[in-house]
Amino acid sequence: MKRRQGWLFFIIFLLTLSVYLLINYPLQLGLDLQGGSQLTLQIIKEEGKVTRDELEAVNSVIDKRVNNLGVSESNLQTLGGDQLILELPGEQNPLVASRVLGKTALLEFRTQKEGTSTELKTLQLQRVMIKELIEQYSSAEKSQYDDNFSNLIQDDLKEIEQELNYLSTSNDLYGKLIEIKKYVDKEIANLFIKTDLSGKDLINAGRRQEQTNSNWEVLLTFSNSGGEKFAEITKSIAGTNQLLAIILDGESISEASVGNQFANTGITGGSATISGNFSSENARELEVQLKGGSLPLPIEIVETNTIGALLGSKNILKSLYAAISGLIFVGIFMIFNYRILGFVSVLSLVLYGFFNLALYSLIPVTLTLPGISGLILSIGMAVDANILIFERIREELYDGNTLTRSIDSGFQRANSSIVDGHITTLLSCLVLFLLGTNFVKGFAATLGIGVLISLFTSLNCSKTILRFFITYQSLRQKNLYLPRNNFSN
Amino acid sequence: MKYNLELIKNKRKIVGFSTVLILLSLLGILYSTFNTSYKKPINLGMDFVGGNELRIERVCDEECSNFSPDSVLEKLKEISKNKNVLNNIKLQFQNNNKLISIRTPYLSIEESNNLINNLDNIVGPLNYESKDSRLIGPKLGKRLLTNCVTSLLVSLFAISLYITIRFDKKYALFALLALFHDLVIVFGIFSWLGIILSVEVNSLFAVSLLTIAGYSVNDTVVIFDRIRENLKSKKGGYNENIQLSVNESFRRTTFTSITTLFPLLSIILFGSYSLFWFSLSLSLGIIVGSYSSILLAPSLLLKE
Repeated sequence: MKRRQGWLFFIIFLLTLSVYLLINYPLQLGLDLQGGSQLTLQIIKEEGKVTRDELEAVNSVIDKRVNNLGVSESNLQTLGGDQLILELPGEQNPLVASRVLGKTALLEFRTQKEGTSTELKTLQLQRVMIKELIEQYSSAEKSQYDDNFSNLIQDDLKEIEQELNYLSTSNDLYGKLIEIKKYVDKEIANLFIKTDLSGKDLINAGRRQEQTNSNWEVLLTFSNSGGEKFAEITKSIAGTNQLLAIILDGESISEASVGNQFANTGITGGSATISGNFSSENARELEVQLKGGSLPLPIEIVETNTIGALLGSKNILKSLYAAISGLIFVGIFMIFNYRILGFVSVLSLVLYGFFNLALYSLIPVTLTLPGISGLILSIGMAVDANILIFERIREELYDGNTLTRSIDSGFQRANSSIVDGHITTLLSCLVLFLLGTNFVKGFAATLGIGVLISLFTSLNCSKTILRFFITYQSLRQKNLYLPRNNFSN
Repeated sequence: MKYNLELIKNKRKIVGFSTVLILLSLLGILYSTFNTSYKKPINLGMDFVGGNELRIERVCDEECSNFSPDSVLEKLKEISKNKNVLNNIKLQFQNNNKLISIRTPYLSIEESNNLINNLDNIVGPLNYESKDSRLIGPKLGKRLLTNCVTSLLVSLFAISLYITIRFDKKYALFALLALFHDLVIVFGIFSWLGIILSVEVNSLFAVSLLTIAGYSVNDTVVIFDRIRENLKSKKGGYNENIQLSVNESFRRTTFTSITTLFPLLSIILFGSYSLFWFSLSLSLGIIVGSYSSILLAPSLLLKE
């Protein structure tokens, strides 16, 4: 009896601890409960597997970019060996993040091949025309936007395509325009030769508005060695008709000549500006990308989930209703069938709920919708153990044993089948947790934790509570433990 | 309260019933594979094939004005610059025109944002706080599918291994037979749901199958335990002892199923819509699982 009292105090202690934990360390809610966006980034590698180092490198670049973007409370984690998950809580638009993160942002400085001046001029002219078409297309009012208008653009586009000897493959007009512009930028880049100066030589990037017009430019600050390389390169082409091109991801974003006055020393000072008709947003995106450095491997955004905050709070409320009504249904059923024993199981279920939630905040487990369904489902499974025990107790009572004896041997005899029975569920949870996606992991974690805790609450807590109950004379009548109508047999 | 299920008398009926259920399920799976537009054993949802799913509510004063989906699509086509996005689009109004739900093939975030903006112009204002948008690339979809299938196979293997170690060959065989019986029937029901109601399955469906597997074996293990115990300790014939064991564990098995069904029922009634089909397939699995544990698996153990 003494030992049981020790357990009782231990359980009360655990309960207090749980309440304390829950008050001081609130539960972490997943995005489907608090609202926000989640992006899954897939690292693309043509051959072989992504190594740990590569994953780390990509992770750190993305992390820098996210920080420089200034999104608040974002959370970046790796998933599997080749995916990253970025969570943006609240009403932050994933669009900007997706544009900044998706690019490799490999910055190169290239010098023009000799004897390509005429080719370059033609391409530059074509680029101006394409840009104009894009401009016209995007600024057109909806009312203006009819077949006539798009036919005009279509005709101009065809002309350029013929000159370039390249046919765009996109299905819609806007896509075609963008595709051709990219093609031209790539063709321009191909007229230039690589140098050993690249984005790796940068120590900072910034942006500012150009003085003459409303366009923005991006400022590059080189490291010491980068500054030297830059001076060397500019010196080599100063005063010639060769241009210096700044290439981003294989597309030329700006080409400039170096004046004769730099022929002796090159451009020194360790900085450069890129002015390529940037809008404020474009300049900021490029700035963030350059600050974070280029990605060692390209990535692709393969999944985006966005949940509004209102929907999130609705989801919490709905889950709460579901959990509470589930508990009530189960409670009524148990008390109806097992009377005092049922009441004991309800008490241990309540304990079970507290312990579970406390453990979530301790580990911590981020609570998501599938996670909550795992928790709610595990309520049913937690009761399962109690039912096994109570059935045994009933049998013992029918056999004419005393209450105390029946309870003891009921718990003892049910022990092994309970532990055994839960193993298969735990096996499934383990597999789900190891192989599943993020979404599925939440379910596996809560169900698995639930099954483990239920072993403690249904075996130990219910036994302790029951032992405590029967210290009262009035609660020691056998008929309180058997269904009313069946006491006769 | 003693139960008296006449297992020995009804063996043929039970086995026959299960056979019919399995055949019906297989029929659904075959029909779905060869005779539907998607040509798959089950209607795979966007988790597995990629795509874009959007649900968003409109802000209305009292009642939301009525729009026909076709007229909205028509207008969308008029004002969208990127018409490509509108191929294969499905648009529905729900909840008295309040809720718009849209399915399209995979879109980029930018395209999806444009679509929402255009929608706002036509049926707006929209309540962006109620937005639920999922974009899944086709590559990820394929990966998720392989992932789910591997998870299922690995855990079925693990469970089979556990059962074979724990029981004699005969018991293990029948417990596994009952397990596959449950999984095939739930799978078949969803094949039929896909054919008739175009219900799609997502990764949560795979999760439910895994959970059902764990649960169904758990139930069977308890009954088989009881059979083993009774065969050792009680006199009486082999078949009679099996029947006795089933009747002794009947209450426990049905009660456990009921207490597990209650919470699931609560999720179906009160929970978020994204958990509806998940809870339903779990519930079906638990019902079929209890049936196979109580009636089918022990019947198979009976000697002629």
